[in-house]
Amino acid sequence: MSARWGWQVSTLVLFVSLWLLQALANGQTHHEQARDFFNKQGNGNHTNNWAVLVCASRYWFNYRHMANALGMYRTVKRLGIPDSNIILMLADDAACNNRNKFPGNVYANPGQGLDLYGDNIEVDYRGYEVTVENFIRLLTGRVDPSVPRTKRLLTDDRSNIFVYMTGHGGNEFLKFQDNEEISAFDIADAFEQMWQKKRYNEIFFMIDTCQATTMYSKFYSPNILATGSSQLGENSYSYENDRDLGISVIDTYTHYVLEYLEQINKTSQLTMQDLFDIHDPGKMRSTPGVRSNLFSRPLNKALLTDFFGGVSQAEVMAEEDIKSHVMSSIAEKVPRPGAGEKKTKALTPSAVKMVALQEPLSKGDGIPSATARAWTGAGLVGLLVAWVTISATR
Amino acid sequence: MDVDLAFGGLVAARLLLAFAPLPEQFKFDHLLSSPLTSNLRLHEGVYLFKNGVDPYSGGIFYQSPLYLSVFSTLLPLNRVSSPVIWTLVDAVSAYALVQTWRARSGVGKSKRDALLAAFYLFNPYLFLPSLAFSTSSISNMLHLLSIMFAARGETSPALFCLAALVHVSLSSILLVLPVIMLILGQPKSGLADPKPISINFKKGRAIGLEFLGHFSVLTLTSTLVSGGFQWMRQTWFVELSLLDLTPNPGLWWYFFTEMFDHFRPFFLMAFSVHLLIYIAPVCIKFQYDPLYAAFILTGVLGTVKAYPTLSDPGLFLTMTSLFPEILPYLRYPVVTSLIHLHASLLLPLFNHLWLSQGTGNANFFYASTLVFGIGNGVALMDCVWAGLRIALGETKEGYDVIQQ
Repeated sequence: MSARWGWQVSTLVLFVSLWLLQALANGQTHHEQARDFFNKQGNGNHTNNWAVLVCASRYWFNYRHMANALGMYRTVKRLGIPDSNIILMLADDAACNNRNKFPGNVYANPGQGLDLYGDNIEVDYRGYEVTVENFIRLLTGRVDPSVPRTKRLLTDDRSNIFVYMTGHGGNEFLKFQDNEEISAFDIADAFEQMWQKKRYNEIFFMIDTCQATTMYSKFYSPNILATGSSQLGENSYSYENDRDLGISVIDTYTHYVLEYLEQINKTSQLTMQDLFDIHDPGKMRSTPGVRSNLFSRPLNKALLTDFFGGVSQAEVMAEEDIKSHVMSSIAEKVPRPGAGEKKTKALTPSAVKMVALQEPLSKGDGIPSATARAWTGAGLVGLLVAWVTISATR
Repeated sequence: MDVDLAFGGLVAARLLLAFAPLPEQFKFDHLLSSPLTSNLRLHEGVYLFKNGVDPYSGGIFYQSPLYLSVFSTLLPLNRVSSPVIWTLVDAVSAYALVQTWRARSGVGKSKRDALLAAFYLFNPYLFLPSLAFSTSSISNMLHLLSIMFAARGETSPALFCLAALVHVSLSSILLVLPVIMLILGQPKSGLADPKPISINFKKGRAIGLEFLGHFSVLTLTSTLVSGGFQWMRQTWFVELSLLDLTPNPGLWWYFFTEMFDHFRPFFLMAFSVHLLIYIAPVCIKFQYDPLYAAFILTGVLGTVKAYPTLSDPGLFLTMTSLFPEILPYLRYPVVTSLIHLHASLLLPLFNHLWLSQGTGNANFFYASTLVFGIGNGVALMDCVWAGLRIALGETKEGYDVIQQ
């Protein structure tokens, strides 16, 4: 009895060890291949891009904050992030405001050149929905089950998120809607929750308010790059007024950033360092800051399109490469020890069939085919009808 | 004119109508086909079946596997064969109606037969669903065939058609008892002479067992064709649980669109039982004229069925031609016909307003289905009254008939 069992156990051990050996000997697993592919240009491992653009202040005279957010919206959209990956939060409706001389339009420069609002816009949180609670719920993902998909931040651990906030701020706070404020600690904790729940790969945090850099001073989670428009004790100023609208239309810091980003497109190889090089306290009338100690990559290796754009990696393979790739992956998946040559020969025709992908669904795998069953069924019913007819005439 | 010639002429006219270049929209119309009878879904199911995908795994195909087997092998469905098949189905139904009349009245060929055939073939409630190639026409054919065979006393064919009918449309289980009573009894008019009848229970039991035998053979065939038992859930259970809430001219769908889940099982049970409670009283009351009982239960089906089309109340209205004796005793036939006219104009109008034009909403269409339901209910009640009233004979001078 024991001898028989011993024989079987030893055969099993032999099979398992042979399988393990060939798996190890095959070198890279699929995971490693994928990781190498995505790491090819040192672009930090992300596969998708999201943007959260928040304008936290309401009322007509804060038109420029809405123009800030809309300018960022148009930029990231132009550079490839789709509306489904952008969360745009506008605390007030400047375009349809009663005091707007150009209804339905929002301009970031005087002279009514480029409309930022008009066509093809998707505002996810509007008006009174822009609250501190909604913002933090959005970031952490702790939303009510009734919240629709378009209002959720559906990021994963391979998402790069661009978070842009603008409004009236102060020392470690940002005013929301004129009646509440969010503190730097709140945002820092929200980002830490996101890190713990693997909701981001890297975050780029940009904020344009007074005393902006204080808002990112409390972050403590890894892979966050932050920039702000002014230091503690400094104000951020608006850039220029529009004589027809009667108010300021854009803020200085955001204006220069947008102006710089206008020159790039999806294939741009410009880096974050190049963006931060435009910081000019004289021109901008405030001292912008950068916080990169939490960011793992060097700034001159992080592309602008890693955060502002929705650029994906693609590799074009020749058809012969596909076939050989598929066949080798099948050989990996079916590790049967034994007569190696016979097995690979048997595998080849099915591998080629997999690539063709135009055949109808498989028939004849034990269960009789549909037409056979249909004919049998029809035949049985016909038999019953015949029996009934004969027994009736009898 | 010879009856057979007239019959052939009518069928030819129907065939021409079926081949006429009519708008394709009939197939999509909610009044002419329901989710259980739609021709589009039949095509979809047959296509999936032929390509090896189980049509019952999704929520599209709710029809019997027997249709799958027949329409994927013997009778292909295409632009030429569909009109021919459906015209033939209607021709068989009209023939069955005529034969039932002949069995009931005891007369051979007469001029009235052509009128009956025309009444079936050119009733708009019946030929429009047939132009839409809805399988409710096939159900009507099985319905009339089972009644015809039962009236002629041919047990096995009647039971086979009945089993096929119940298999294809579960609510027609209402008809089982009257058809069995018809086989055991006689089709001649007994309305004027109500009396309790004696039933041969032994023979009745044998008939019931034969029906169950036919039904189980069909069920096993369906299981074989479908390759599993999933089809039962997707055909019979759909009528019981109202899985699909596509609008139809019936009374169930609107009620259950706004039904809270908590109450849904209770109301489904209530609506299903509502269909079943009519069997016993109608069959007991009209035991001396089982054909009339079958007629009344057809009317019940037409009014309260789960997924009706226009064919179901249409069949009831056409079957009134089998009972000309009740016509003098109908209390308000004009009201009934006007309500039906009203409903038949409103139903397509409100359906169009709601779903095509968008200026109406579901309440408009629901209101028109309510009017249609009132029309059917009023017709049914009037027929029951008239059937009972005949027994009292003509009113004498100075006397009046009241109901205590």
